[in-house]
Order: sequence, then C-alpha cells, then structure tokens
Amino acid sequence: MNLYKDIRLTIIFFTLTVLLIFSIIYTISIGSTPISSKTVFGILVDKIFLDGKGLKEGIWAMPDFQIVWNIRLPRVLFGLICGMGLSVCGVVMQSLVMNSIADPYILGISSGASAGASFALLIPLPFFQGQYQTSIIAMVGAFIASFMVYYMAKITGGGRIHPVSLLLSGTSINALMSAITNFLIFIAKSPESISAVYNWQMGTVASASWNNIRLPFFTVFMGLMIFIVFSPKLNMLMLGDEYAYAMGVNVKRFRFIMFFVCSLIVASLVSVTGIIGFVGLVIPHIVRLFVKSSNNRVVIPLSAILGSIYLIWSDALARSLFSIAELPIGIITAFIGAPCLLYLMIKRKFGG
Amino acid sequence: MSYKIEYRDICLKFGKRNILENVNICAKEGELTGIVGPNGCGKSSLIKTTFGFYEYNKGDIFIDGVSHKKYSNKELSQKIGYVAQENNVVFNFTVYDIVSMGNKDIKAVYNALDELKISHLVKEPIQNLSGGERKMVFIARALAQNSDIIILDEPTNHLDINHQLFILDYLKKSGKTILMVIHDLRLATKYCDSIYVIKDGKNFCFGKPEQALSKENVYNVFGINGEVLNIDKYGLDFMI
Repeated sequence: MNLYKDIRLTIIFFTLTVLLIFSIIYTISIGSTPISSKTVFGILVDKIFLDGKGLKEGIWAMPDFQIVWNIRLPRVLFGLICGMGLSVCGVVMQSLVMNSIADPYILGISSGASAGASFALLIPLPFFQGQYQTSIIAMVGAFIASFMVYYMAKITGGGRIHPVSLLLSGTSINALMSAITNFLIFIAKSPESISAVYNWQMGTVASASWNNIRLPFFTVFMGLMIFIVFSPKLNMLMLGDEYAYAMGVNVKRFRFIMFFVCSLIVASLVSVTGIIGFVGLVIPHIVRLFVKSSNNRVVIPLSAILGSIYLIWSDALARSLFSIAELPIGIITAFIGAPCLLYLMIKRKFGG
Repeated sequence: MSYKIEYRDICLKFGKRNILENVNICAKEGELTGIVGPNGCGKSSLIKTTFGFYEYNKGDIFIDGVSHKKYSNKELSQKIGYVAQENNVVFNFTVYDIVSMGNKDIKAVYNALDELKISHLVKEPIQNLSGGERKMVFIARALAQNSDIIILDEPTNHLDINHQLFILDYLKKSGKTILMVIHDLRLATKYCDSIYVIKDGKNFCFGKPEQALSKENVYNVFGINGEVLNIDKYGLDFMI
C-alpha cells in the first residue's frame, strides 16, 4: 500500500516539476514583445550552462537576451518564489493554529505591511526615497504587527499560545492596522499617492529585478528547508498540543520558531510585492484535497511547487490580459483560486 | 519494589485556583493502576503534567526512579505512550499517518493495528471514522511506540462494551505499566490492580479496588450508595 502510494506521489511530484520548468520557459516568452519558447530555452541554457557562449557568437540577438535574462526571468523567478513562499507559509500557519481558514497573513503581516507602505507612500520620509523606502517601512510594519499579534495572544492565553486566541488577536490587530491605513488615506491629499497605496494593496511582482529578489530568494529557500525538516513535528502539532507534548515536541519553542520563520518569509515577500491574497489559503487546500491527506511531508513540497506554478501563470495573465495596463495579480489569484477551491470542495465532499 | 512511574507531591494552580494539592500517585511495574474521582477533581490535569502540557507548581515526577526533568523530551516520549481523552482531528490524516507518528517502522505500525484488530482501517481517513474507531487508532499509536509505560485518559469512552472489555483485557495482558484515568467504577474494579481515589485535587484514598471503592468511600466521594460485588460467583464477564 505504501509502495503504491509512494509511486503515485513520485509521479505527481515529477509531473509538477516538469510543468513548473515548462511554465517558466513558456511564460517568459509571453509579453509585449513575443519571443519564441525555443529562443527562450536556448538563451537560458546558453547563459546558465555555457556561460553565454552563444551570445558572444551572435546566435541570440542582444535585445532578446536583455528581455529574457534581465527583465522577464527575474520577474518569473520572483513569481515562483512568491508562490512558493506564500503557499508553504499557508500550510505551516494552518498547522500551527490548527485552523483551515488561516493564511500566511494571519499574524497581521499584510495589514502591518500595508500600514507601513501607506505611511511611506503618503508621508514620505526624507531618506531612501522611492521604492526602497516603501519596502523597508512595509517590512518594519509587518514585523511590528506580527510581534503585537504574537504577544497579545500570549498574554490573553496566560503565557500559552492558544490557536483561538492567536486567531482573535490576529483579527484585532488586522483591524487596527487597516484603520491606520484608511486613516492615512483619508488625510492624504494627492490622488496619485492614494492610487499608489491602492495598487500596492492589490499586489504586483512587476518591480522584480536581479537586485531585489535576492533576499526573498534566500528567506524562502531557507524557510522551505526548515519546514521540510520539521514537517513530522508539524504533523504532531496538528493532532493538538496534548499529543504534540506527549510525542516530545517542545510546543512553545517550536511554535515560536515556526511563526518567526513564517513572518520572516512573508515580510520579505510582502514588502516587495504588496499583498497577493488567496494563494496561501487556496494552494494548501487544493493539495490536501488532491492527495487526500494532510501529511505535511507531502503537502509542503507539493504546495511549494503548485504555488509556484499558480503564481507564475497568474502573473503571466496579469501582464498579458489587457494591453493598456497590467492587472494587479491579487485580482487574478483570487479570481481563479476561489472557483478552483469551491469546485474541489464540491467534488471531494470537503470535510465529509 | 521500585515504582515505574511516580507523581510525588504534585501541586498545580490555574491562576489562584488550586487544581492539585500534594497529590501522590505511583504505578508499579507491569500493573494496571487506575485513577478515579468526580468530575473536575484534577485527574486529567495530573496526567497532563507528565509531558509539560501543564507545568506543575511544586513536586516532581519520577520515571524508573529518575526525575522526568533528567530526560530529554524525546526520551520521555519514547518511555511513555499517551492516549488523550478526546481525539478530534481537525485535519485529515490516514490511520497509517497517525499510527506511524508513534513509530516510523512499518512493521510496528501494522503490528499495533493487528493487535487491536483494526488493520482493515489502515488507509481510511481519520475523519471518516467513528469516535470509537478513532479511540482505537490512537491507542494503536501509543502501542506502536513499544514503550514500557502507557498513560491513558479515559481509554473506554466512545467504545462499546465489547471493545471496552477488549481494550482493557489487552492492556492487562500486555505486561506494560498502565496508568489510566477511568470513570467507570465497574471496569476500574474489574481490571485495576490498585486504585487511587482523588477528590477536590487531593488524594482521598488508595488500595486494592475493593478497599479503595468501599461502600463508605464511594458514598463520601461520589455521594451515591454503591458497593463492589464479586462477579465471579455469577459466572459473568461483566455486570451491567
């Protein structure tokens, strides 16, 4: 039985990986300047494995190379790590608070980052002006919010983190941070900056470049490794604190570390992209329904890959659906994700 | 004879409320020890201090004569199997997933399932099972660990009478040291080697079932008139 299951999972894993590679190449070819998938593949192989030999010999046109390597590849890769990071954080957050409606933003990270970003966009400070300031202050906001949520939950739970008190304090801090954001918008004068805040809240990966994707890249992959290593312990936590203690998990410390890693990942993503909703909620559920189990040893790696594919394609749609302007990616992730989840829930009789 | 597991002078407070006051409980090796008492007397809270789910304010717990603080979390979890009172699983795991959390070895998993005659459920999602079946799965998880000691909180709730007797028979014959919180005084009398009665967070009495649950004690603790009868002379497995 296990052998059969292992083979089935290996096939799913392999297929998704192939699909991911295909998606990367194909979505790079889409855009205002169409470049064939063959050229994209050739340029990538040339640059990665042959150290740009073909480029020097003039096989590939320089403008094509610039578009593929310096403009579209960072963006697609950034979409990949955003999808990966948000999905695995979704899985982990749901396990930690033992609630299937939790998402990566449950610790108030999104609303904290929003408040920070609106601060930077509406009342710019006289240093690091521009995009970096928005990112940095958004990240500060995200950390302040998540620590507030964590410690409020700890105080209300009498030194113990109860999943319910965490959800409640998360909801409260979210409301508080949204109020701050809305207040800032209310007192703001220029319509341009208000629309900048509005766009930021719907999320985009358009600002990706080789320079600003390094930190998210690092945090997401480190985080993924940590989550995969600790997935058996996350499973134990999903049986409830009582069993987790009995199976030798230092529940308090473990929960804190996992929350910390999640905050780090999500804050590093959200500060660059703004809020990309629904990925972290929907992907873990789709994977769980698909493999008919919540075993994190399977769910985490599969969510990482499926989340990447999902976000890469959402971004491809975002930049190609309307020729005049890019659609915020958050609209697409929710527009596709919600019906997908509903369909699967009906088909698989979710929770029955 | 040394005790396999011993709770010594355990005090536990929730805020200002005293839950346990100087409670002492010992389980001898290979015996079945029961803890009985009225609702809210602190039985479950006591066994939840074993792994640190509740942190007691005073006292100590000894396992094989050594304080449990000397063991690492992992060592402690290997020494003691645990079955909780309620087994609600929010997320879906298969029975195999759950039992294998007790022991990664496939043979140990199937062995435990076979022993409890539930190996046909191995592929089932836990959420599709009844409360009683879930209980059996979680007992199998504890058995798969192959630990010397098993602590159970209400092992018989959700189980039908046949399975209640089956589980307790099995535990009795397993040769392991069993410490269990049990509400059913008839089952406690039938199976336990010794019984601790707890009332209002304090030791009330202990001894062999017929001593601990004497007519007087039962009246003082539960407020009812009842008496332990010897069922052997009726030639029955169980008296209803």
